[in-house]
Amino acid sequence: MWHIAKRELYDNLNSLRFALAIVLLIGLMLTNAVVHLHEHPKRIQVYSDGVTEYQNHLTASADESLYRLAQKGPGDLYKKPSALRFCAEGSETDLPGQAIGGLLRWSTDRLESSWILAYPPVDTSLGNLRPDVTLVDWSFIIGYVLSLIALLFTFDSISGERERGTLRLILANAIPRHTVLIGKFLGALISLNIPFTLAILMNLLVISTSSDVHLNAEAWGRLSIIFFIALLYTCLFLALGLLVSARVQRSAVSLVILLLVWVSLVVFMPGTLAAIAGDAASPKATHGFYERSWQLHNELRDQYRSRWRQARGDSRKKIEVDGAYVSKDAEQQAHLHEERLKQQISQVNRARAITRMSPVTIVQHLFESFAGTGFERHLQFLENVKVYAREYREFVLDTDKADPESLHIIGVRAGMSQKPVSPEAVPKFEDTLNFSKDFNTAAIDLLLLTLFFVVLLSGAYLAFVRVEV
Amino acid sequence: MLTTLIRRELLDNLMTFRFAAAVFITLLLVVTNTVVLIKDYERRLAGYNDAVKMHQRQLQETKTYSAGEVYVDRPPNPLSIFNVGFDKRPGNEVKVSHGYVPSLWDADRHGSDNPFMNIFTSMDIVFIFEVVLSLLALVFAYDALAGEHERGTLRLVLTNPVRRGHILLAKYISAMLCLLVPLLMSLLFAVILLTNSAAISLNMHDFLRIGGIIFASVAYLSVFYLIGMLISAAMRRTSTALMLSMFIWGFLVLVYPNVTLAVIRRLEAPQARTASAFNQIEQIWEAFDRARKHFLATDAFPGEDWGLELRGGGSRHAYLWDDPRTLLYTYESVMNFETLGEEDEPKIPHAQNHFRFLGRLVTDTANQTWLIRKPALEDIFVKPAKVESAWLKLSPIGLYDAATQAWAGTDMLGARDFFNAVRQYRRQVINYLYDKDVFGSREWFSADKGAPDWSRFPQFSFQRVDTSINAKRALPDVSLLLMINGVLFIIIFLIFIKSEV
Repeated sequence: MWHIAKRELYDNLNSLRFALAIVLLIGLMLTNAVVHLHEHPKRIQVYSDGVTEYQNHLTASADESLYRLAQKGPGDLYKKPSALRFCAEGSETDLPGQAIGGLLRWSTDRLESSWILAYPPVDTSLGNLRPDVTLVDWSFIIGYVLSLIALLFTFDSISGERERGTLRLILANAIPRHTVLIGKFLGALISLNIPFTLAILMNLLVISTSSDVHLNAEAWGRLSIIFFIALLYTCLFLALGLLVSARVQRSAVSLVILLLVWVSLVVFMPGTLAAIAGDAASPKATHGFYERSWQLHNELRDQYRSRWRQARGDSRKKIEVDGAYVSKDAEQQAHLHEERLKQQISQVNRARAITRMSPVTIVQHLFESFAGTGFERHLQFLENVKVYAREYREFVLDTDKADPESLHIIGVRAGMSQKPVSPEAVPKFEDTLNFSKDFNTAAIDLLLLTLFFVVLLSGAYLAFVRVEV
Repeated sequence: MLTTLIRRELLDNLMTFRFAAAVFITLLLVVTNTVVLIKDYERRLAGYNDAVKMHQRQLQETKTYSAGEVYVDRPPNPLSIFNVGFDKRPGNEVKVSHGYVPSLWDADRHGSDNPFMNIFTSMDIVFIFEVVLSLLALVFAYDALAGEHERGTLRLVLTNPVRRGHILLAKYISAMLCLLVPLLMSLLFAVILLTNSAAISLNMHDFLRIGGIIFASVAYLSVFYLIGMLISAAMRRTSTALMLSMFIWGFLVLVYPNVTLAVIRRLEAPQARTASAFNQIEQIWEAFDRARKHFLATDAFPGEDWGLELRGGGSRHAYLWDDPRTLLYTYESVMNFETLGEEDEPKIPHAQNHFRFLGRLVTDTANQTWLIRKPALEDIFVKPAKVESAWLKLSPIGLYDAATQAWAGTDMLGARDFFNAVRQYRRQVINYLYDKDVFGSREWFSADKGAPDWSRFPQFSFQRVDTSINAKRALPDVSLLLMINGVLFIIIFLIFIKSEV
């Protein structure tokens, strides 16, 4: 078996495709590294500016009074950029980088709206006239380019030998067929991995020597997982190449079939499936969102009009009604925002589930999970934000309870503690990544990928066993 | 002689597996995607219609002119099914007001769109052609000369008194005829599906535009066939020719467009340009604010309250509003009174006088800032985009994309046509406001003596540009594609003439 693998390897090392693969992969990986080194400090800058602004906002409110904290909210909460974004861009440019914690929706002479969490859409794409392209990240290089190269390495590995008549020669020796197949598979895998590993090492070398990007131990662990996923993925395409090559008499036909399969699986399936899945969902309900929001607000005001009239003259009762009104309004509006977000997310989730039929999407999802980018990561961020919002609200309530002078009516200036709060005491938002959570979301994708591989390899085995020489 | 050669080549090609596979895969991809794309278009059209209705209703319900928010919506382009281009990306609703000159960067999205769905790549028919047709062209071409050379049939053919140029021409014509079959068949199916959809009505001009797209597709196909033929002529062995063609395809289609932009993107828009333009605009609005306050301080009515202490039932607000990122700066004042008290009656002539002055001043200031804002927006947003698309055009795929976008009307200029029309409409609106002295009318701020008659208000309508303009925009890219064809053919001819059999 090793003999066959070695023979296969020597064959490949001298070929044109090996040289071209080296040039192409190294070129792509170096571009990726250089672009990342250029872009990453900028992203870090934006993030740290955002965090500073958030802290200033918080301090300013805390210095004023507890009421200000309860009314204004914590300010904009920023998503921490991942240091491994060069592995998977994960459409981060199409995802918002922050959540709005505190939005002044209305104010009257007496009352101000209480803060709610709001989720901004990405506004950069609206004014963007630049041509739309896939960014060169690892998931592109591996998902698209490496898979194509894997097919080019295997399309003639069996049919080519049969054409030249050397297959008969090999099988004349006392070697079982499965050994031949595995030998060929290993040979192709090793010869493909030489340029790939070389390119990845150069990429990491460039990235790790720079002072702008710090990769800690966890990041290296994630990178090695990503590398093994890439290996599994190339194995899948090598198996596919062997399968078709064993079934088909001529290598030219084998290549045509493989190319067409590759084009449909890798290039078209993700987009088409996403469009089909996205279409099935009905985003209609979100239409007229702001109109609905104002309508709810006005209805609530009309409801409270009579209660205000009743409370006239009784200042304590008036404050209570005001507080109920402000809290009810915030609750209603927050609910509206949550609902819209939930609808949008469920539409995207459905589309993402269906696009999993394509191996390239699986690999992209896996890369995103382990690189800490993409949609799953965004959901994690939103989860973090929600947890923080709860913590913040509880802090406000507890601090208010601790003040004996306060009437404990949240949402109204007259009903709350007027004392300034120490900024250090206010809970701070820190966006974190959770490795075990990433692993859980990735588990199904990993299983699917392995399943694809096993099916294709056993298919190749069956095809090769039954082939007539 | 030429016809004999063509017939021979044609039969050779038609009976192959790759021809059947080419027809099958192109049809499959184009038909499934067209069905999906038509559905997507119908959904966007429904969203547009909803938005138009909603905006009209909201306007009708508004009680005063100053509170009236005139929104204009951008209809989706039915030819975006062929090349989506910029049809989905810029905002599709924009507010028209005298307070600022609307541009692409002030537009917003319809409420029915899900911004998260942008994380998925959107398909269109031209994208399928870009990837599949180029691949098929290379698969047809790699053994055109090298194969005959290997089998020794080339020597056989050349023993007959045929000119080498004729052999080349025959091969080219027959292969192109074969490749046209999947192209035209799939387009035919796509057009049939389009005409069967109730939401899409194509007129004569649209068919002309589709014709332009087909022509560009043929030119693109031919470029890739000739690239394949060039490799085949230069290489002695089919396997080498095949490998080289595949890598060149991968480079031109997958790698080049993405890598170039990754490198070019480093040229970011200068921050200083944004800052200085915004500074200038800010100063103009500050001067406006001084003039406004001066008017209030010196007019016959005492006090500096912009609302002239009107105490009606309703709402009012006024503020200066800015967005430094898109250089937007505007003054908005809304007064929405349903009733006015007795004591307000003497103030009303003053209020009318004030709002007449203010309306004109705001309009003039907005027009004045546009003179600064327009070139700045060009520099900040449009220029880098133009540089990037110029770089993309170094690959035939970029040329093809640009040409089909221009034909479909979804290119950058097409996207900006809408906003030109919106600015035109704004001028109409302002003329109407001036002619009817709306700024100085009682309905501007109060509905106590009748609401405004919105049915008389100018209506917006948007027509896509003429086909001849589409043709003019597509011409440079199409002619470049044709030139590449010519150059490639001459090179192949020279190589083939000199080659030994």
